[in-house]
Amino acid sequence: MSSSPQTEQGHHPSTKQYVLVAIILFAITIVEFFIIFPNKDLIGTAKIPVLVFLSAIKFAIVIMFYMHLKFDHRMFTMFFLAGLSLAFAAGIAVLAMFAALGGEPRAYASANAIPYVEGEHGAETTKPTAVPLPTLPPADSTAPESKAPDAAPTTAPTSEEKPSGGAGAAVSLEIGTNGDALEFSQSALSADSGSQITLTFTNNSSVNQHNWVLVKTGSKDEVATAGTAAGPGAGWIPPGDDRVLAATGLLDAGASEEVSFTAPAPGTYQFVCTFPGHNFSMFGDFTVK
Amino acid sequence: MAHAAEHAIEETTTGLNHRKMLMWIFLGSDCMFFAALIATYMVYRGQSLNGPYPNDIISVPITTISTFVLLCSSFAMVQALAATNRNDQKWIRIWLLATAFLGAIFIGFQIFEFNSFKNEGLTLGANLFGATFFTLTGFHGAHVTIGIIWLLGMFVVAMKGRLGPASSLDVEILGLYWHFVDIVWIIIFTLLYLIAGFDTGPAPLAGG
Repeated sequence: MSSSPQTEQGHHPSTKQYVLVAIILFAITIVEFFIIFPNKDLIGTAKIPVLVFLSAIKFAIVIMFYMHLKFDHRMFTMFFLAGLSLAFAAGIAVLAMFAALGGEPRAYASANAIPYVEGEHGAETTKPTAVPLPTLPPADSTAPESKAPDAAPTTAPTSEEKPSGGAGAAVSLEIGTNGDALEFSQSALSADSGSQITLTFTNNSSVNQHNWVLVKTGSKDEVATAGTAAGPGAGWIPPGDDRVLAATGLLDAGASEEVSFTAPAPGTYQFVCTFPGHNFSMFGDFTVK
Repeated sequence: MAHAAEHAIEETTTGLNHRKMLMWIFLGSDCMFFAALIATYMVYRGQSLNGPYPNDIISVPITTISTFVLLCSSFAMVQALAATNRNDQKWIRIWLLATAFLGAIFIGFQIFEFNSFKNEGLTLGANLFGATFFTLTGFHGAHVTIGIIWLLGMFVVAMKGRLGPASSLDVEILGLYWHFVDIVWIIIFTLLYLIAGFDTGPAPLAGG
């Protein structure tokens, strides 16, 4: 080891060994793939330790043979392992630090989200409550500038929309969510123009808050964006927006609410959940005949 | 066997080549760089308030193919070094070009993936998943891209017939970098795709 300064070159594995290493790496990758595909729960919760172990083997094989650490001077190994250990320790420290905060960050964030408005500092518009409860009531009475009417069902401009005298037959409609999925249970609803609609919306999710908002056709994403800016104090619905024809309050998981309104002029409208992000999958057509 | 010993012997305090030492120390520090990004991903795993979530868009089969491509490129890289030590001019060029080509295919897969994610609504600013995913895999892709440029530079040198046992170390150091990019991907593939690729919206597993 000391005869020549170039002994660290060592000897490299033969082509045969390289091929063998490649085959082992491929084989491990194939095993990993079939552990989670097509059935991701093939080996249940054991999959995490097993997959981490398999990838650690691949990692070790590559640095030992392809990167020749097995045949090289030990100092190279030590320098690399020093960095790797520090990296590992730093990673564990970060995870531990966040785990030490406890609770459910997501639920806390969900209940206290402050809308980000381009070019403005979003802070201070909504006071976060101190308690990290996932289910914050929609109308927080302490919210200083909640301009929303209140948490009660918003029966937005409906009266002036009445097309014909008083042909208001009473109609009951029901809609829910498909469990925890970000979908309504129906993708279409319909009613006759001028009828007095009583719609019951049930949030069947076990985790998410949802609402049901009837909007002018094509405006669901714009209304949802405006609702995000209006914030949780407004139930994620832009106050006084004339594109909003009717809406329930923001319902906690498992809650249900009725909203009454008069069916607007004939045409196609949309209904949507304006909770931030839900509008991409939670919407449907509301046809008025 | 094919030592580079006939090359001018450098005297160093450790008896080890400084450039190779530098590369290993760099790789050790690059571990920390990626560890920070991976830890960030894991901390924010399952904390996104809105979609798209990993389960909506991650395609494990496609990424498994690109993982194979990267493994193949590592094999081509060791063959390029072996050819350099044999002074086999033709195969030095073939294996170097093959390595760069396979790396480019990997990047092609990544561009395809990023693009399809973007079309599904996942951007750097869409949610925590998007922010941490693109930062981590994007920096890895940048490493691969730098490696491809380095490989192509080495290929140009090889075309001029200037590579051989005397320049074995040049190819070896390039190889160290390239294999490192491969092992980082081994970790990313396992954590982000195989383990976290099926995460749905609300996170049942807090704290990863």
